[in-house]
Amino acid sequence: MTSTPIPAPDAPEPHSGPDPALADEGLAKGPLIPPSKAASGEPMIAIDGVSKWYGAFQVLTDCTTRVSKGEVVVVCGPSGSGKSTLIKCVNALEPFQKGQISVDGTKVKDRSTNLPKLRSRVGMVFQHFELFPHLSITDNLTIAQRKVLGRSGEDAKRRGLDLLARVGLSAHAEKFPGQLSGGQQQRVAIARALAMNPVVMLFDEPTSALDPEMVGEVLDVMVELARDGMTMMVVTHEMGFARKVADRVIFMDRGEIVEDATKDDFFGQPRSPRAQQFLSKILSH
Amino acid sequence: MLANLDLGVIVSSLPYLFGQGMVFTVTLTALAATMGVVLGTLLAILRLSGIPGVWHLAKGYVELMRSLPLVLVIFWFYFLVPYIGAWATGSPTPIQVGAFASALITFTMFEAAFFAEIMRAGIQSIPKGQTAAALALGMTRAQVMRTVVLPQAFRNMMPLLLTQTIILFQDTSLVYVLSLTDFLGAASKVAQRDGRLVEMYLFAAVVYFLICFMASALVRRLHSRVAIVR
Repeated sequence: MTSTPIPAPDAPEPHSGPDPALADEGLAKGPLIPPSKAASGEPMIAIDGVSKWYGAFQVLTDCTTRVSKGEVVVVCGPSGSGKSTLIKCVNALEPFQKGQISVDGTKVKDRSTNLPKLRSRVGMVFQHFELFPHLSITDNLTIAQRKVLGRSGEDAKRRGLDLLARVGLSAHAEKFPGQLSGGQQQRVAIARALAMNPVVMLFDEPTSALDPEMVGEVLDVMVELARDGMTMMVVTHEMGFARKVADRVIFMDRGEIVEDATKDDFFGQPRSPRAQQFLSKILSH
Repeated sequence: MLANLDLGVIVSSLPYLFGQGMVFTVTLTALAATMGVVLGTLLAILRLSGIPGVWHLAKGYVELMRSLPLVLVIFWFYFLVPYIGAWATGSPTPIQVGAFASALITFTMFEAAFFAEIMRAGIQSIPKGQTAAALALGMTRAQVMRTVVLPQAFRNMMPLLLTQTIILFQDTSLVYVLSLTDFLGAASKVAQRDGRLVEMYLFAAVVYFLICFMASALVRRLHSRVAIVR
């Protein structure tokens, strides 16, 4: 295997806000990232000239970028700029008409590609959590492991509960999603995605539907994941998160990638006026 | 008139009314409802499949069944099924289909159209994000339907499915046109035989009312219990 072990941070990140009511156990440690074909630094996601139309309306225009193994890329931009659509193209939840996307060497838009298999290696976290409300937290964590990966109930449960502990929610294994707060549900959703041993994680505005006091606990889990070396593509407005863990920032506007820069370049000296404008608006208060 | 009521005829015919009549009614209702829900769910999935031709066919079937009087469909199947069976199996003479089998097929196919509409609404009530999340985990479309969409749709629609079954319970009395003896048919036979029309039809009405009223009350209680907390 070509993957290199990533050292765990020495001290856990201090929580960005107190949450005494939740009384969760804090984040546990352990290896998370399964082996992939790509070596460290090689592209895990390659997006090449992707364009997409809804009828006559073009939502994505010639988008090209790379996400290397172990890299954390934040995608930002105004509403309707196509950022969510772009990351949904990565696991083919949204079809696109032009261009190509490869994930760990597998082409997304190809008749011979086994899409369920590809998707099972790409974790995705949604704005509205999308836990399955009719299933317990444990069943939410195990159902895809059993149905898709063919793991035994016992193995799936062990893996699921292990990850539940990592997001600090062991006490809630037998509850149902409706009994959890938004922040807790989103952490379970992250654990559910990780249970599939994804080689890359996609986040589609993971904190946008949360009450402000719950944003911190979800970002903590994501920061932890990033420090563990997970390849991540994150659509978010949380510039604090971007500053803390992003390697690169992609700025989109009207379906185009306007700026694709390292974190320091993006926050230091954004080249395009549109990105400058966006940043000044979002950072001014 | 009411002073002349002979309640003794009711008591003496109870074993016949319930032992045969009600057993038939309940059996037919339970079988037709079960098979109707299965067929109806299938029709709903086909109708929502978006596959050209397939969904048109499912829609056409549902619309046709919902536009015909039930009695007509019962007659229609009773006289046609033997010939369709003969044609399907290549037999030169009409296939013998008992009145019960014919009634069961009719009610199943008729109710399936109504169950299909309920299940269609149920499936459509599940947020698209649920399907997206299940697909993103690597499930196939069939797995998403089986493990994520249908279980939630069934639970959301359970009150409506049961209410439709209560209607079916009443509708099964139409089997009298095939000379089958359900609960109402049994009461009717005793009424004719003993000349006690008022007593028997009043009693039948009371029994239907009590059963359906209690069942409806149970459905309402169930409704508040099975609702999924989001």
